[in-house]
Amino acid sequence: MALMQSSARFDHHQGTVVNMPLLQPSFAADAEAGVAHHPLSGKDLSGADVVVQVLADEGVEVLFGYSGGAILPVYDAVFRHNAEHVKPDGSEPMPLIVPANEQGAGFMAAGYARASGKVGVAVVTSGPGATNMVTPVRDSTADSIPLVVICGQVATQAIGSDAFQEAPISNIMGACAKHVFLVTDATQLEATMRTAFTLARSGRPGPVVVDVPKDIQNAMVRFEGHGELPLPGYRARLRAVESATLSDAECESFFDALARAKRPLIYAGGGVVAGGAAPALRAFVDAFGLPVTTTLMGIGGYDTTEPLALHMLGMHGTAYANYAVEDCDFLFALGARFDDRVAGVPTQFAPRAKFIAHIDIDPAEINKVKHTDWHHVGPLDRALQRITQYGQAHNHRSSLSDWHAHIRALKQTHALNYDRDSALIQPYAVLEEINRHTQGRAIISTGVGQHQMWAAQYLDFRAPRHLLTSGSMGTMGFGLPAAIGAQFARPDALVIDIDGDASIRMNLGELETVTTYGLPLKIVVLNNVGDGMVRQWQKLFFKGRFASSDKSLHRKDFVRAAEADGFSWARRLERRDELASTIAEFLAFNGPAFLEVMIDPDAGVYPMVGPGANYSQMITGDFIPSRETSPIGDIATSDSF
Amino acid sequence: MQHTLSILLQNEAGALVRVAGLFAARGHNIDTLTVAATNDPSVSRLTLTVRGDDATLTQILQQTRKLVDVLQVEHPAQA
Repeated sequence: MALMQSSARFDHHQGTVVNMPLLQPSFAADAEAGVAHHPLSGKDLSGADVVVQVLADEGVEVLFGYSGGAILPVYDAVFRHNAEHVKPDGSEPMPLIVPANEQGAGFMAAGYARASGKVGVAVVTSGPGATNMVTPVRDSTADSIPLVVICGQVATQAIGSDAFQEAPISNIMGACAKHVFLVTDATQLEATMRTAFTLARSGRPGPVVVDVPKDIQNAMVRFEGHGELPLPGYRARLRAVESATLSDAECESFFDALARAKRPLIYAGGGVVAGGAAPALRAFVDAFGLPVTTTLMGIGGYDTTEPLALHMLGMHGTAYANYAVEDCDFLFALGARFDDRVAGVPTQFAPRAKFIAHIDIDPAEINKVKHTDWHHVGPLDRALQRITQYGQAHNHRSSLSDWHAHIRALKQTHALNYDRDSALIQPYAVLEEINRHTQGRAIISTGVGQHQMWAAQYLDFRAPRHLLTSGSMGTMGFGLPAAIGAQFARPDALVIDIDGDASIRMNLGELETVTTYGLPLKIVVLNNVGDGMVRQWQKLFFKGRFASSDKSLHRKDFVRAAEADGFSWARRLERRDELASTIAEFLAFNGPAFLEVMIDPDAGVYPMVGPGANYSQMITGDFIPSRETSPIGDIATSDSF
Repeated sequence: MQHTLSILLQNEAGALVRVAGLFAARGHNIDTLTVAATNDPSVSRLTLTVRGDDATLTQILQQTRKLVDVLQVEHPAQA
């Protein structure tokens, strides 16, 4: 093992000196565009028109945002742009979608980005408009989602004066965005806007905030039509990562270890989706036969209906995926970060793995949580293609038939299951029924909590970008606005928001946004009259004291709320025998539809690897057979979460 | 163990806050800190000391290198 480490490890950054003039302007972007002459180049434009022109040049096809005093010049420029560039079919080239709350706009942009892989764009005003955007921005950093967020700001001369609707956005967003720019020189606005897109989509993607004071929006500047900010440090590091290749020696040490493994397993994360590496992963698995389990963020990175797919691992992963992690002797982590929902106890994660290999685009993720024996920092799709080619050229073959038989048996013995005889509607049955129609091809968004885990467990996902969910931040209220954004990205696709009663409440105002724009979204609320996941923890670890999580005194009639917001199809399902017919009618409805399902309030999420527990201590509930478990300590007083 | 880090960063408003904020957000207490412009006025050198074991230090170095304004991070004692 020690030998493997020394031969396979290399660091791009450790001690590297950047040998280049530090702040020389870079014209790389110009060269790439072939220095095509921009029709507006040399013209004087207002800052607001510059913002909109760069958005148009970047191919932005929809904006999400809420207006206000400090962003009015940009909103006016969007209005004029749309009026002057009407498409042949009469539609606007860059429609501006207005939410009920700026947080909604942020999650719409994120849903758009997650479903399409393109940069999502939100435009909001200063102060509260911008602070309402903090949660989506932090959520997008945590899940590596590319956004460009344009915030109005009070005029430069008013900054720091406690002006009306002033907030220190560069400070606030600096702590939670991939990067934030405060534009104080109008001549830098154009290059800053272009650079924001480059930063958002390059390397490990993330949200970039551009804070634009009102006087900068009003200033007249010469439009160049090209050019970005130099950012020498970032660009040098990006070049190093993007040009990284695997040497023959590194490929050889990888296959040496793989050849010795009898039970190799792939643990694939969101990087497979973000890096467009699903086809390369598929080719690798086809070539070498490693079973695949994915994280919540990686779902769809490998078709869940494949025989070698183990679905999700982790705290609420399938029992068979978690047992496979327990049993594997070689773990290949791809664009995954060993986070606490997966490796709650890092030292006890994959305890029999003699060799852990890891590929990621972010050098900071290597050895952050779990020590690896082999790693590579670089684009995942290229790395996988290279490894596959090398292995095929060198005739790598391992006999995995015993391991495959073991995987088949795990999937059969420890399959997901629930109380199929209950008189109450089981949430799992609702999802199974939806899955029967969608066959893993619908785009699904979720809120956060039990329904999110059930959707991840019980639905199939045949391709990437089909499960849109707040994985790292776990933001309740994500599902509805994310589904709206996704429907704009995929107007012809069936988009379903699988939500919970508590989660959907958090952004319920966006129901109206669905009907305002005539989106054919389908919304399912699995109503268990409370914060189900919180109750589950209170049941397990706090002796059933349901502090604040019981909502039986709440009076909301969700169906009437949906009707009030213009849903012509809005129903409540309370009878089990009407499940199949109602779901069929709901999904077939041509237009926005809202379905509330009163589910068994005691339904739990199983399996569950409790906080501070390892996979062998997984609780599988009453309906999924488990292996023998060892006892766990008192979790109520544990610091694990 | 105490470590001294030398960080070159673009001399822009907010760049210092971002470095200091990153250390605070990731649970590091900065013991000492000095910042000054270099011969190139568009570049500042930030010298700070923190305490931590090797793994913690490696992680905060890697995270610092992800800040867009940061040009270079050196840990002279390890160079």
